[in-house]
Amino acid sequence: MEMQDSRIIAAPRETVFEGILKPEMLRACIPGAEDVTGSAEDGFEAVVVQKVGPVKARFKGAVTIEDVLPGTSLRLVGEGKGGAAGFARGAATVTLADHPEGTELTYAVDAKVGGKIAQLGSRIIDGFARKMADQFFERFKTELEGARPVAPSLED
Amino acid sequence: MTELANSGIGAPLPREGARRLAEGRGRYVDDITLPGLLHIAFVRAPFAHGRLLGIETDDALEVPGVVAVIDGRRLAEICAPFDTNPPGVPGHASAPQPPLVVDESCFQGEAVAAVVAESRAAAEDGAELVFLDWDELPAVCSIEDAQAEDAAPVHTRFSDNLSLRHRFGAEDVSEAFHGAAHVVEADFSFGRQTGVTLEPRGIVAHWDPRTEELEVWQSHQVPWQMREVYARQLGLSPQSVRVTAPDVGGAFGLKLHAYADELAAVAVSRLLGRPVKYIVDRLESFTADAHAREARASCRMAVDAEGHILGIDAVVDAGFGAYAMHPRGSFGEAMQAAQMIGAPYRVGAFRAEVRGWRQNKAPSGAYRGVGQPIACAITEEMIDLASRAADIDPAEMRRINYRRTLDEGTRATQAGLVVEELSLDACLDKLLEAMDYTALRSEQAALRAKGIYRGIGLASFVELTGVGAGLYGPLGLTVAANEACRLTLQPDGSLTCATSVTDQGQGTLSAIAQLIAGEFGIAPEGVRMVAGDTGRTPYGGGAWASRGMALGGEAAKRACARLRDGLLELAAGILQCEPEALRFEQGEIIGPKGASGLDLAELAALCHYRPYDSPTGQVPPMTVEESFVPAALPYIASNGVHAVHLEVDPELGTVDLLGYWVVDDCGTVVNPLLVDEQLRGGIVQGIGAALYEECLYSEDGQFTNGTLADYVVPMAGEMPDIFVEHVSTPTRATGLGARGVGEAGTVGGLGAVRTALGDALVPTGARVSQQPFTPGRVLAAIMAAEDAE
Repeated sequence: MEMQDSRIIAAPRETVFEGILKPEMLRACIPGAEDVTGSAEDGFEAVVVQKVGPVKARFKGAVTIEDVLPGTSLRLVGEGKGGAAGFARGAATVTLADHPEGTELTYAVDAKVGGKIAQLGSRIIDGFARKMADQFFERFKTELEGARPVAPSLED
Repeated sequence: MTELANSGIGAPLPREGARRLAEGRGRYVDDITLPGLLHIAFVRAPFAHGRLLGIETDDALEVPGVVAVIDGRRLAEICAPFDTNPPGVPGHASAPQPPLVVDESCFQGEAVAAVVAESRAAAEDGAELVFLDWDELPAVCSIEDAQAEDAAPVHTRFSDNLSLRHRFGAEDVSEAFHGAAHVVEADFSFGRQTGVTLEPRGIVAHWDPRTEELEVWQSHQVPWQMREVYARQLGLSPQSVRVTAPDVGGAFGLKLHAYADELAAVAVSRLLGRPVKYIVDRLESFTADAHAREARASCRMAVDAEGHILGIDAVVDAGFGAYAMHPRGSFGEAMQAAQMIGAPYRVGAFRAEVRGWRQNKAPSGAYRGVGQPIACAITEEMIDLASRAADIDPAEMRRINYRRTLDEGTRATQAGLVVEELSLDACLDKLLEAMDYTALRSEQAALRAKGIYRGIGLASFVELTGVGAGLYGPLGLTVAANEACRLTLQPDGSLTCATSVTDQGQGTLSAIAQLIAGEFGIAPEGVRMVAGDTGRTPYGGGAWASRGMALGGEAAKRACARLRDGLLELAAGILQCEPEALRFEQGEIIGPKGASGLDLAELAALCHYRPYDSPTGQVPPMTVEESFVPAALPYIASNGVHAVHLEVDPELGTVDLLGYWVVDDCGTVVNPLLVDEQLRGGIVQGIGAALYEECLYSEDGQFTNGTLADYVVPMAGEMPDIFVEHVSTPTRATGLGARGVGEAGTVGGLGAVRTALGDALVPTGARVSQQPFTPGRVLAAIMAAEDAE
């Protein structure tokens, strides 16, 4: 499935760009992230726990950063293996542009799931993926703007 | 006679056996528990096609309660893979299917590792922590993709994806088409379905290392088959395996097969020496139960100016999935879909080619009707297309082409079918009258003028029921085709019938008890049925190909006759008369002078406790066993006609069912209530196929609608009233005269909705080739027809 959206972040473009490359930022922003290690250069390892419809999944995944145009754009490419739940893989192209209120972050996500979670059908999967992307970038915005995000419930 | 009608054959007795189930007192596999029972959750393949590189189990083994995580390599040491290539099917090619993936997985949902734990919850928690390392391989999913010249192989041991190729009828039928007044042609596409049983598959297996015996409880149709399968795969003597099918909540053919995951559960018990339970959850059911029906077909039909069929030429391409279902293969549906085309009619020249294709999808197998619904739908739409071309009323078109009986001096059709007496004319007459066909046609014409599109569809069918040894025997498949009854007169005068027939909710056991009770003039409560247990019942088939009453009822009737003859002879000696002068009425022996004072209880007590009181000093056996398999015929053909009245909304593409009628000939009807409900239930599944149900896969082989929210099964609210009537032509193959009825509703249901939809769409010029006929497809067809104008 494909999704795109944008956020206005009250921070300079360079700050926003550097934020994306930090593992602690990923840990804070990936919904359900238990652990994120690694670096922008070598790629990140992540453990993410999520509940998709009736299926609880613990994904072990790798995230790499590609096509880096410093301060302008990059691609986050990830794949998570979810044990009995199946797998999820996807790529997000993030583009930054100057904006009177800071930076406009535009993202285009192409994601795919397989195995048991794929069975749940597009009504559940698409909604879930949209929520994940929204939460990620919303938290990212909040982190950068300095306020601590309210911990969102996994059950909502 | 009045008393017989109240108790024996033909009595509409309520099904006493259903009370326990309706009150929640059923005993299903999941209700069975044993000391030390372990539970299995499977980790299943996430890709449609992949190579397994490694399994990481450390985290899973740390979950409290998890006892073991077992992979395919470990099981391969003690359990052989299914090899499903019947020697009698030339050219049939299917890869061996191991209980758990060893190296290459071929469909999404194939079981890879068994997590064994003290509870199901712990097993599932463990399964979440098993990580599989894979190489994803290219997947081939649609029939077209499987057929493509450069298609990737579904299984890397093969270079292409053709699993089966066969032709019925003549090599060349082109002559029949030359100079025909009309030739009609159409393409068909049938969606992949699955059985959706209320109770999912499930198994409890217990290998007892002390006795070296394997005991299995399984939600299944054919316990005797499974005894042999488990013995073969695990290298055991069949005598050391006992398989019991307790109460079963629906089966529809999908519980006819041996599944890799169930075999894995049995092998895990053998490995650990402990009882294990595995219950398939609903998400797993969708991807790991047998699927059915996926096919594409094209058909040509030639008719003369009067509407007589001159020839049929058809090709059926069937989607087999990743493996042939064990042990009966996946070819049955494809073969019957081709062979049964045109079955109700004299078709002139006949040719039907069938090809079966491997796909990276769940294996396809038996589902109520097995191929016959496809054949019926193709045939009936072709008849409608030809009737429009020849400008003949569709009902009349059918009548002038019906195959009648043995009157042409031959019982075998060109497709190789052996058809006994048919009663299609009588069924059609009754049907047209019941639905008031003429009035419906007038109403249809009047409404069309107002832009209301109603359709009237007919579907005639011939169905192969009570299939005997002639089907699997020559193919080299060791499948019991007989049905047997072991009848015992207990010392208290009650009867016990141990039957090889099994019951998954049909009520067959109640009907057999009714039949037996009728033979002795007692209430059905006086007959205790024992079924579904290889330890307690005689050898036989179980439930497949509509055989419960047709074959199992005949075996019971014969056993009754033997037991009764012995008892009447004994009674004749006591009463000093001829046995022929005696009969049973309400369990009592009635002689030339009326009631004799001797009844079943008295005779039973004499035989069991005081045999010396017999005038001859001899008593008849108190247990008799009869086994029946049709010998003169390979199967017992039944027939009938369905009709549907529906309305299409041309703006929305929705289909509204207004009425449904069926007239069926299943020969002797033992319990009309049960028979009518078999027809209705079957029809509902036919309607489901026509309008709602489809297993949808993504291009790369992910099952995308595997929940009951997205895989739509028909509910009571969508169903019209279904009118059921009978013509009764007892088969000459048995003394009882019953033909099968369990699948008759499904066989005709799909075709009747198809022809009714086609009829409704005539004014639009549209035709929907792809089933199920969803609003989107109906609308697309209407819009395409508008564009073509």
